[in-house]
Amino acid sequence: MLRGFVEVTVWDRDGKVVQRGRQEMRSFINNFLKILEALFRAGQGSATTTTLTDTGGSSKTVYVEWYSPGVGSGIDYAGGTPMACNASSGDDSYGIVVGSGTVSLALDQYSLASKISHGTSSGQLSYGPMTFEDLGLDQTVSPPVYRMRLIRTFINLTSSAININEVGIVARNHWKNAGSVIIDVRYLIARDVLATTYTVPAGGGASVAITIEVEVG
Amino acid sequence: MRVRAELIVESDGKEVFRGESKSFLLNFCKVLYRMLATTGSATGSVTGVISSATVTDTSGYSQTAYIEWYTGYMYVGGGTPAGMNGPDNDDSFGIVVGSGSASVSPTDYRLASKISHGTGSGQLDHDTHATTTSFSSTSSYIELARTFVNRSSGDVVVREVGIVARSLWKNNGGVANDVRYLIARDVLPSPVTVKPLGVLVVRYRITLTT
Repeated sequence: MLRGFVEVTVWDRDGKVVQRGRQEMRSFINNFLKILEALFRAGQGSATTTTLTDTGGSSKTVYVEWYSPGVGSGIDYAGGTPMACNASSGDDSYGIVVGSGTVSLALDQYSLASKISHGTSSGQLSYGPMTFEDLGLDQTVSPPVYRMRLIRTFINLTSSAININEVGIVARNHWKNAGSVIIDVRYLIARDVLATTYTVPAGGGASVAITIEVEVG
Repeated sequence: MRVRAELIVESDGKEVFRGESKSFLLNFCKVLYRMLATTGSATGSVTGVISSATVTDTSGYSQTAYIEWYTGYMYVGGGTPAGMNGPDNDDSFGIVVGSGSASVSPTDYRLASKISHGTGSGQLDHDTHATTTSFSSTSSYIELARTFVNRSSGDVVVREVGIVARSLWKNNGGVANDVRYLIARDVLPSPVTVKPLGVLVVRYRITLTT
């Protein structure tokens, strides 16, 4: 039904590619399934929730369907979305994230083993904005596949090399009511331990591209 | 590891088919892509469609299905991008069955020949949906199931099954977006005959393993 590939490219301060690799994702986890299962129960015009573990390790109730009761006067500004990943530059709380941990994958994990934070201090990487590519339908393979790609760039603005051993995807469940945020939960939906350590030199950078393939038809 | 989708069909309590569902469709891909690619970060007085997917609805029309959306009015607002829980007697979304055998195409937007809800000739009584889950650190699954009962006096032959999702968003007490779109379709290797008062159960199970 669904599989994916992780591609990591590392370049030095001169922009020269010094390391590149690709491996199959092993990695969608329970939180991802819980959102899909909640969608199984949604669509009847009433709130539908599920409980998952956020990136801080707390159990959280999130919505996949939700309706504001209305504010009676003024404007409600209510609505939301269940599984967003389009984080902006500098935001390491969702989207593709990277880490230095090597702990093996388990489906009940909720965070990277050791996330590398956004920043310019020692051990940090500067997170670029998420970008998305709709690669469309490929009918030259059997069965045909539809491909989509999530990409993020990380720049090392510190004076030391930084090792990347794991990558993940964090999604955001965000709903508003009466202009205020009522649910804003970040939760890990995929994690991969990389087969190789990728070393980002000082002044260099890395890009992580996750291609998701859905078998169709 | 892959996310595996399995299709299980039971007739009168006996399993008659179990196999991999490879037939998720273009509509599913478009919605999944847009769901991941949205920001989830609208603040303050932001209103309207933040993200949407263009899908083909079950009538064959190109439609905009909302993925992230915020009302600009004072009354009930909110929704869901891809609900699948068709209620009792509702054959417009959720798991659906049909009698057609046309090969699956990624661009399918409806079953080849849907069997309608009802008790008349060639119809099946569409029951509610049920979900089952099992989560662990090494193997997990979720399952969506629907029961169909033949309350007519003749046989009903099922050759295809699918899932229709619903993008439903309400605005100011009314409906802002209500699009039903086929996301999966599978043609069974052998037809299943549902006898009068016979019971058919269709299950879609999605599995993760480490």
